[in-house]
Amino acid sequence: MAAGQPKPAFYVALAAVVLGLIAFAVYRKDVVAPRPGQPQEEAKDGGGPIEPKGLEQAAESTDATSPTTVKEYKFVPAEKLPPVKGTGKYKPLEQNNNTVRFALNIWAGWAPIVLANDGFKAGKEWKTADGKPFKLDLVLIDNPVAMRDAYASGEVHIGWGTLDMVPLFLEGFVDSQGKPKDSTIMPRIYQQVDFSNGGDGIVVRENIKTVADLRGKKMVMAQNSPSQYFALNTLVSGGVQPSEVQMIYTDDAFQAAAAFNSQKDIAACVSWAPDIYNLSSVKGNRMLVTTKEANHLVADIWFARADFARDHEPILEAITRGIFDAMEQLKSDDARQKVSGLMAAGYSIPAKDALGMLGDAHSTNWAENFQFFLNQNNPTNFERVWQRAYYLYRRIGSIQHQPVPFDQVMDFSIIQKLGKEEKYASQKSEYGTMAPAKDLQTVKGESEEILTNTVVLHFFPNSWDPFKKVERTVDGKAREELYDPNVNNVLEEIAQLAGQFGAARIVIEGHTDGSMRGQVPAQLVKDLSLNRANAIKEALLQKYPSLDPNRFNADGVGWDRPADPADPDNHSKNRRVEVKVLTAERAA
Amino acid sequence: MDQTENETKSPRLGTETADGATSPPRPALASPAMPAARRSLLSRLPLGLREDAPRWQVALMGLLGIAACFGIWWFVTRGEAEERILSPSSGISSPSETFATFHSLWFDRALTRNLLTSLRRVASGFGLATAVGVPLGILCGCFTRVDAFFLPVTVFGRNIPVAALIPLTFSLFGIGELQKTMFIFIACVAFIVSDTARSIREVRESYVDSAYTLGAGRWQAIMKVLVPLALPGVFNSLRLLFSLAFGYIMLAEVVKFGGESGGLGDIINTSQRRGPREHVVLVLLIIPVVALAIDKALLWIQRELFPYRYGGVGVLHSLVRALMHGWEDLKGLVWRRPLPASIAGELAGPPQARRDGQTGGPRT
Repeated sequence: MAAGQPKPAFYVALAAVVLGLIAFAVYRKDVVAPRPGQPQEEAKDGGGPIEPKGLEQAAESTDATSPTTVKEYKFVPAEKLPPVKGTGKYKPLEQNNNTVRFALNIWAGWAPIVLANDGFKAGKEWKTADGKPFKLDLVLIDNPVAMRDAYASGEVHIGWGTLDMVPLFLEGFVDSQGKPKDSTIMPRIYQQVDFSNGGDGIVVRENIKTVADLRGKKMVMAQNSPSQYFALNTLVSGGVQPSEVQMIYTDDAFQAAAAFNSQKDIAACVSWAPDIYNLSSVKGNRMLVTTKEANHLVADIWFARADFARDHEPILEAITRGIFDAMEQLKSDDARQKVSGLMAAGYSIPAKDALGMLGDAHSTNWAENFQFFLNQNNPTNFERVWQRAYYLYRRIGSIQHQPVPFDQVMDFSIIQKLGKEEKYASQKSEYGTMAPAKDLQTVKGESEEILTNTVVLHFFPNSWDPFKKVERTVDGKAREELYDPNVNNVLEEIAQLAGQFGAARIVIEGHTDGSMRGQVPAQLVKDLSLNRANAIKEALLQKYPSLDPNRFNADGVGWDRPADPADPDNHSKNRRVEVKVLTAERAA
Repeated sequence: MDQTENETKSPRLGTETADGATSPPRPALASPAMPAARRSLLSRLPLGLREDAPRWQVALMGLLGIAACFGIWWFVTRGEAEERILSPSSGISSPSETFATFHSLWFDRALTRNLLTSLRRVASGFGLATAVGVPLGILCGCFTRVDAFFLPVTVFGRNIPVAALIPLTFSLFGIGELQKTMFIFIACVAFIVSDTARSIREVRESYVDSAYTLGAGRWQAIMKVLVPLALPGVFNSLRLLFSLAFGYIMLAEVVKFGGESGGLGDIINTSQRRGPREHVVLVLLIIPVVALAIDKALLWIQRELFPYRYGGVGVLHSLVRALMHGWEDLKGLVWRRPLPASIAGELAGPPQARRDGQTGGPRT
């Protein structure tokens, strides 16, 4: 310190400087302390609400030919996948006794790979089709962020994830244009191992009857997780904008459950088994929906590093085969007992817990993988899940980069190749047993509504043909056009909804406007609206033959229920179709 | 401990403990300024300010504290699941339910193996941090310029959330044992460096001056004066920092290879993900018990090493000194020190090579 004492003037000057700085900070607060931008403003898909319609593919040709069950992709994956530059940056296999590292989380869906590998430890000698031996080390990395980091560093060759999580992983792997920053770590997805089947769910307080009741309420979930994808999907399908719900984010689902427990003002919690079942058994809570009903929504996959895939394709093929073959073995009780022992050892959990876990997921065999990867017409295929995840996450601002096209990560070449073998080609899709047909009254009596999705479809007056064509004059030429050109999009939307909620009952309700109220008997209008609902149901089943017709019921409501009770004469709003998703019978 | 004699003491029960410095009960001196009615019950409790209590009372109070915690725990989780203040889904079950799962934790989930695994990781990471951090800290404490060079790194290391470094450790050290060890190392080393440097700096300058006066060189002043005098403080801070290392196992153990023990961190992570939730509570109860045992063991070592500072018997101290003296004597056999030039010049005179066979530390 310099000698001497500061004079009063010094303090005055100091105060002036400090105040000046504070004043400047307040004056330029947008620079000094800017507010974070709202994701809605930055959404690159234009503003406005998130429409289920936004989720369909762009400009589908209105294909007049009668739809077939399967329409295979015709492209060759290798031509679409981004090339890998440079040498592989993964841990070389030679260093490690030819051991491939496969990351897992604690999840029922990994039972087949655990069985195929005789446990987690690298021990069993695997062989590629051309006879080269390798070993497989199953590494437990339950935290998705830690898994992504281990994968990116090349320490594990194969990562785990749900398909909806992969776009979130890509946020760190590509630039804002969606171009790979480092081509070696881009994921290559070869196989779907399961659909979550009861492993994820939404628990609500008793006063929440359907998804629509969540408007304005608080919802807690783990951010950027399958839970969030499940929640966003369910909200949007139920006509609720995510912005209308107060989302509370936690680090993981365990914390979400704990928060729901302690804070009674939180109306809903998105979590996974066993938490959801524990929570829903508490008095005052109930289960709103689980992936038992929405059983084609959360798809677990594994992916390999692009450089590893380039160098070791035969190994990936061998792993794919091993998983499929183990799925067949797991139909026997002995194998289930065995695998629960192996999983108990690997996850270090009690064996009975491991056995109880197995019901959370449905393993998807080759036939279901074929439907998922290769069938363009499947309303819940890879491409649609991929686009839906991108759409939802970009709209809420979790993803900033331009979407990476699905064919830059999906490689169905192995699935296609296995299809040439009788063993796999003869497999049948085993998911979603056929529901017994029930009449509308029974369904309404036995099931609880999960959500209602409103789609607007314009019918030609007094007609119930959704594909009604009319003459329109375009550029001076008379052309036959669909009365409502949107009909295919609407059908796609309903199909996606019905597909995702693969084990739920679907009621299609036709509504009419009240413009002729008092001039025609109500029954006439009811009949018309029922015919319209039936026509939609028929068109849907024709376009998407994979849907089970027994799950659908049609109902004609006429003008009895205006879309907005506060605005009953809004005719254009009232001419609509409502798709109600109801639980399958709880008793079943 | 010197006690002020005129401090008002409440009557206490006479005890037969050997070390309890009990003073004979004395009548309480009612101060004239204070009416007797104001003498509250509180002042009659044996709560003399900073007085020593007999050991059995200390133990009893400790047990009472534990019992109180368990009592609260029992209270908030009593009765039917739906009636409880804390429902079982909050992750806290009743004490009886929790301890009922101990069998499964011990047998199904190999508690002991996982405990040893975690201990091994913490010990190796912390041991490495000690081996690197203490010498560095000594250098920093002795030389201001070295300290300035390392200061940014230590400030950084002490203040960052280490969890953010997990991806970096994956890239540098893989995902095996090395990464777990290095993670603990990174989490602790900065604290060790700065604590050691502080202990060195706290040694009074007069000791160094005395050493110089007696003709010690710079190196000798460090090795014979500063380090021995700072060691007790260093050891004490290491003991306290060890528990910090324990706190990081949940972050360190996020990767588990098949066939190896995941450690306690893995048990917590897995139990949170999949259950049984009771095991989280059990592990959280076990960690402090183990940490306390380790702390007590270290405290004993500390007392025996530095009896002049922490009042032990000094078994280890004597042992170390014997070893050091032996080393000093042996050094003459294997290492020949060049004679100082002044002495080498007068070979005729009796050799006067300095042979300090004394450690610099204060004698007891």
